[in-house]
Amino acid sequence: MPDHPSYDVVVIGGGHAGAEAARVAARGGRRVALVTMQREAIGRMSCNPAIGGLAKGHLVKEIDALGGLMAEATDAAGIQFKVLNRSKGPAVQGPRAQCDRDLYAAAVQRLLAAEPLVAVIESIVSRVDFSAGAVTGVALADGSRIEARAVIVTTGTFLRALMHSGETKTVGGRFGEASAEGLSDSLRVAGLSLGRLKTGTPPRILATSVEYSRMEVAPGDAVPRPFSILTDRIELRQVSCWTTYTGAEAHDVIRRNLHRSPMFSGQIKATGPRYCPSIEDKVVRFADKERHLVFVEPEGLEHPWLYLNGVSTSLPPDVQDAVVRSMPGFENAEIARYGYAVEYDFVNPQQLEPSLQARGVEGLFLAGQINGTSGYEEAAAQGLLAGINALQFLRGAEPLVLGRERAYAGVMIDDLVTLGTEEPYRMFTSRAEYRLLLGCDSVYERLTMLARSLGIVDDERLRRVEARLERTAAARLQLEESELTPDRETLAWLEPLGLSITGPTTISRLVARPEFEIDSFFSHCASSGRFSGVAAAFDGLSSEEKEGVVNHARYAGYIEKQEREARSVRDDETLRIPAEFRFERPGLSAEVVEKLRRVQPASLGQAARIPGVTPAAVAVLRMSLRYEQRSANGPGRGAANLP
Amino acid sequence: MSGGPGNDTIVAPATAPGRSAIAVVRIDGADAVSIVEALAKREFEPRRATHTVLGDGDASIDDAVVVVYRAPSSYTGNDLVEISLHGSAYLVGQLLGAVRRRGARLADPGEFTERAVLNGKLDLVQAESIVDLVDARTGLQARLSLRNLTGELSRAGESMRASLLDMISRLEAALDFADEGYEFIGHDEAETALETLLKEVRGTAATWARGHAIQTGLTAVILGLPNAGKSTLLNFLCGTERAIVTPLPGTTRDLLRETVDLGGLPVTFVDTAGLRETGDAIEEIGVGRARDAAAGADLILYLIDATRGMTDDDRMEIARLRDPIVIFTKGDLAPGGEDAISVLSGSGLERLLGRLDEEVRARFAMAEEAPTVVNERQRAAFEACAEALEAALASVGGGAGEEIIVVDLRRAANALGSLTGAISTDDVLREIFGRFCIGK
Ligand SMILES: Cc1cc2nc3c(=O)[nH]c(=O)nc-3n(C[C@H](O)[C@H](O)[C@H](O)COP(=O)(O)OP(=O)(O)OC[C@H]3O[C@@H](n4cnc5c(N)ncnc54)[C@H](O)[C@@H]3O)c2cc1C
Ligand SMILES: Nc1nc2c(ncn2[C@@H]2O[C@H](COP(=O)(O)OP(=O)(O)O)[C@@H](O)[C@H]2O)c(=O)[nH]1
Ligand SMILES: [Mg+2]
Repeated sequence: MPDHPSYDVVVIGGGHAGAEAARVAARGGRRVALVTMQREAIGRMSCNPAIGGLAKGHLVKEIDALGGLMAEATDAAGIQFKVLNRSKGPAVQGPRAQCDRDLYAAAVQRLLAAEPLVAVIESIVSRVDFSAGAVTGVALADGSRIEARAVIVTTGTFLRALMHSGETKTVGGRFGEASAEGLSDSLRVAGLSLGRLKTGTPPRILATSVEYSRMEVAPGDAVPRPFSILTDRIELRQVSCWTTYTGAEAHDVIRRNLHRSPMFSGQIKATGPRYCPSIEDKVVRFADKERHLVFVEPEGLEHPWLYLNGVSTSLPPDVQDAVVRSMPGFENAEIARYGYAVEYDFVNPQQLEPSLQARGVEGLFLAGQINGTSGYEEAAAQGLLAGINALQFLRGAEPLVLGRERAYAGVMIDDLVTLGTEEPYRMFTSRAEYRLLLGCDSVYERLTMLARSLGIVDDERLRRVEARLERTAAARLQLEESELTPDRETLAWLEPLGLSITGPTTISRLVARPEFEIDSFFSHCASSGRFSGVAAAFDGLSSEEKEGVVNHARYAGYIEKQEREARSVRDDETLRIPAEFRFERPGLSAEVVEKLRRVQPASLGQAARIPGVTPAAVAVLRMSLRYEQRSANGPGRGAANLP
Repeated sequence: MSGGPGNDTIVAPATAPGRSAIAVVRIDGADAVSIVEALAKREFEPRRATHTVLGDGDASIDDAVVVVYRAPSSYTGNDLVEISLHGSAYLVGQLLGAVRRRGARLADPGEFTERAVLNGKLDLVQAESIVDLVDARTGLQARLSLRNLTGELSRAGESMRASLLDMISRLEAALDFADEGYEFIGHDEAETALETLLKEVRGTAATWARGHAIQTGLTAVILGLPNAGKSTLLNFLCGTERAIVTPLPGTTRDLLRETVDLGGLPVTFVDTAGLRETGDAIEEIGVGRARDAAAGADLILYLIDATRGMTDDDRMEIARLRDPIVIFTKGDLAPGGEDAISVLSGSGLERLLGRLDEEVRARFAMAEEAPTVVNERQRAAFEACAEALEAALASVGGGAGEEIIVVDLRRAANALGSLTGAISTDDVLREIFGRFCIGK
């Protein structure tokens, strides 16, 4: 086979990580080869047809602010939009969209086709080539080579992939698709060590075989709210989902057949996701729970199948039949495709730098499920950052590392490279300690200008972001500058709103009160003609923007506190640990040293987050770093004059 | 110079400069032992005090006692040599010169202790305690520093922080699994747990009053009408004729201070001008100073001449004072004054001392059982933690969401983290090691 022309970047795998990586590298002006097994599988949703959710929705918004494509594709394919966790504070609510899986993949493919610098090559990569600690290109299954200085591996669940359905094993990373066999070995050659993880998917049901009247309807939000700033409104027809549940009968069947589940029989040795457990896991682990909720979700507008969210399983087909048919509405259900589990190779991400480059191999980046994560959004966010950092690498520029106070994506990558994973890693709001700084409504403020300085934001997005920031800033200012004094007239005006004040205050502070209700406030303004400036500023805002401004006022005091906390640890984040720093030192126990050596933290802040690195050890590290800095500057400078 | 950073060889006198019976010089680092061997022209058995003559080339320096400690079993964790020689600045200078000519450099302030921390021999709170210990003047001070030296305050802070982190993680779980119908921590449980913790943190912060007293000592002001016997009592307490005593009212004008060990603490007694309206401008200033001193005092002794008994003036003064200890004087002159003391006859004095001792212990020195905050840095950490916990409790009470409560809980946890250096900025280090003098 003749070799291919050379490219700047090769992306291996056209999944959610690979699509983002390819597009952003192309947007940065580099020539990209996206090598993937099947052209028409690009952007395919391996499991549930939905994007977003708690914390994952935040990731999607961040991707949009950084110029990624997931939000755009979701808006083009979403058939039910819903903000989850409405009972909790605004910072921890998560937007989610049920998607038409075919439209979703089509949207991703269309977005990539619009990039002239992306060439899709349909093939399997069998080897990554290195020379002197740097990537030189890849070899394809047909023996041909592609040269490139940067290679991004986004192979998902496909490395040495084995599917399990009951006692039956099939080689492949996804139903009907192949497994990538050679690549694992060449990652080992690069010095990376690999482990095994597993994940599962539930059975799909023929939509015509289900009795809908026996289930509860789960409608979406009345007005679907787009994910992307580029989308004005959702055009697709919106549909409902339903809920049903598994009960005693299903649980009995599962218990009796546990020995036939590959996980319980020991056929699968890899670890599965604790947070997205299989139904057999749930029955064993929450033995006293009588019911488990199941969401019934359409796979698309025209798609003949339903997705059963909550009964992921690898039990054999006859057991799946029995379990499914025990659920209300599914008495006569026909399973169109049985659930299965897949077992695959992953790379412990502690072997990566915070840029997602493999430590010690220049130009080799890893992103997505191969790094031990689970979920489309997690994969996409990593793909985007790996793509950006491949660009930065080719430019000879500093990598983009988002701080934990900057983005959920930053939290995730820091967690991955610092803590590693023993089970598939999923994003949660609880993982973000500065979550009030990381609301969905502040993504553009936080990230777009940053992305712009890297030359990866398109003009239209930039124009919209700037306009939005201007609008919301003006509204914020109006709230902060509109003052009220407790004179008789004002008190009388406030009364119908159930508000009262005892001293001079601003509307911004009123907004922060629990009894404040924004809509009645503005209609009161309109009918009374008061505060017309505030009303005018709010008039131009979308409902999402309005909420953003109000949330900001509500959280104001706490946001300030979190900003102060973030600043107080910034010193530690910027205290770099030099690559040649030796962790073996008498003040650190062998156990701590072992942990530090595995992660090779880049900063003291990162070191302090490694589990098992004790406060005393952190103090020793801090002092050692300072002490050595001082010694390097010449001895005798005195502890009292620490720099 | 050999040895890496933190193990190059440093030297410093470990005792105060000037004339003293003996002076101690410490050498630490890779070449410490070989240098002393060169000076003594012999080898030393570790951990054995060895009498030897030290010389620099042909010139002898002094007769000295040398103790060699081998790494890692030394104060710093490095090879460490302690040399005791005759206490003369000249001899010490000679020795330092000889050691430095062989490659050692003069240590920075606190550098020995800094090395001990670097080598894991001490944690930060322990390092602080060393300063306190060296400064300690009384038995109680030393005992308290020793307890922190064994890590008691660090452990207490860490365990409070651990329970905070546990609560944070349970509140956060509620954010992510709200829809699944699992409750991780109930409202009441959170409130009770926070209140308990706050009490504990406040209690520890409050030990500062005691800890501070232990570090800096107490002030006891002696008040009373003119001629009540205040100056006489001061002289008795300090065992010298410190104050002028005359039968003339208005003899004492300015404040007089003397420090004595009482209840295990250094107590500074302050003699004052007798309280009265006076036309004398100087005396009036003295009375003003007496009242000011009383306002800032830890203890007030109010003296009443038993031959005159308690007058209306006395009652008025006493009513203004905070917890005064009332003492009747001149018991030898007043018939039936068993409760009164008499410095002249000595009666009641032992009982008075016992009573003062008890008061001091009761009010300030009880800290021996609980971890005690002994310096401003530690106090600030606990106070910041208490402030954040109060804010969190207010949020819980106001029905705020978990995401808000957790903001303050994290601040509380971080405040405690700064105590042990788990979370710390360089300021903390600077503060701790800035307090050292060279040689420690
Ligand atoms: C059975 C199953 C169940 C799942 N269950 C869940 C779940 O319950 N919850 C959840 O959050 N997520 C689940 N997922 C995971 C979700 O699908 C992934 O997290 C997400 O798709 C990962 O994206 P990715 O870009 O890393 O990889 P993928 O989407 O897997 O894409 C990888 C792509 O790389 C291509 N590829 C791989 N190797 C090569 C090669 N050598 N050469 C060329 N091309 C190659 C593949 O063809 C594929 O297109 C499941 C996935 C599967 C397969
Ligand atoms: N007999 C007797 N005289 C005392 C005693 N204490 C003080 N005095 C006398 O009382 C006078 C006033 O004492 P002084 O200490 O100067 O009183 P001050 O003005 O309160 O300081 C002096 O003449 C003392 O000798 C005592 O215990 N017994
Ligand atoms: Mg007097």
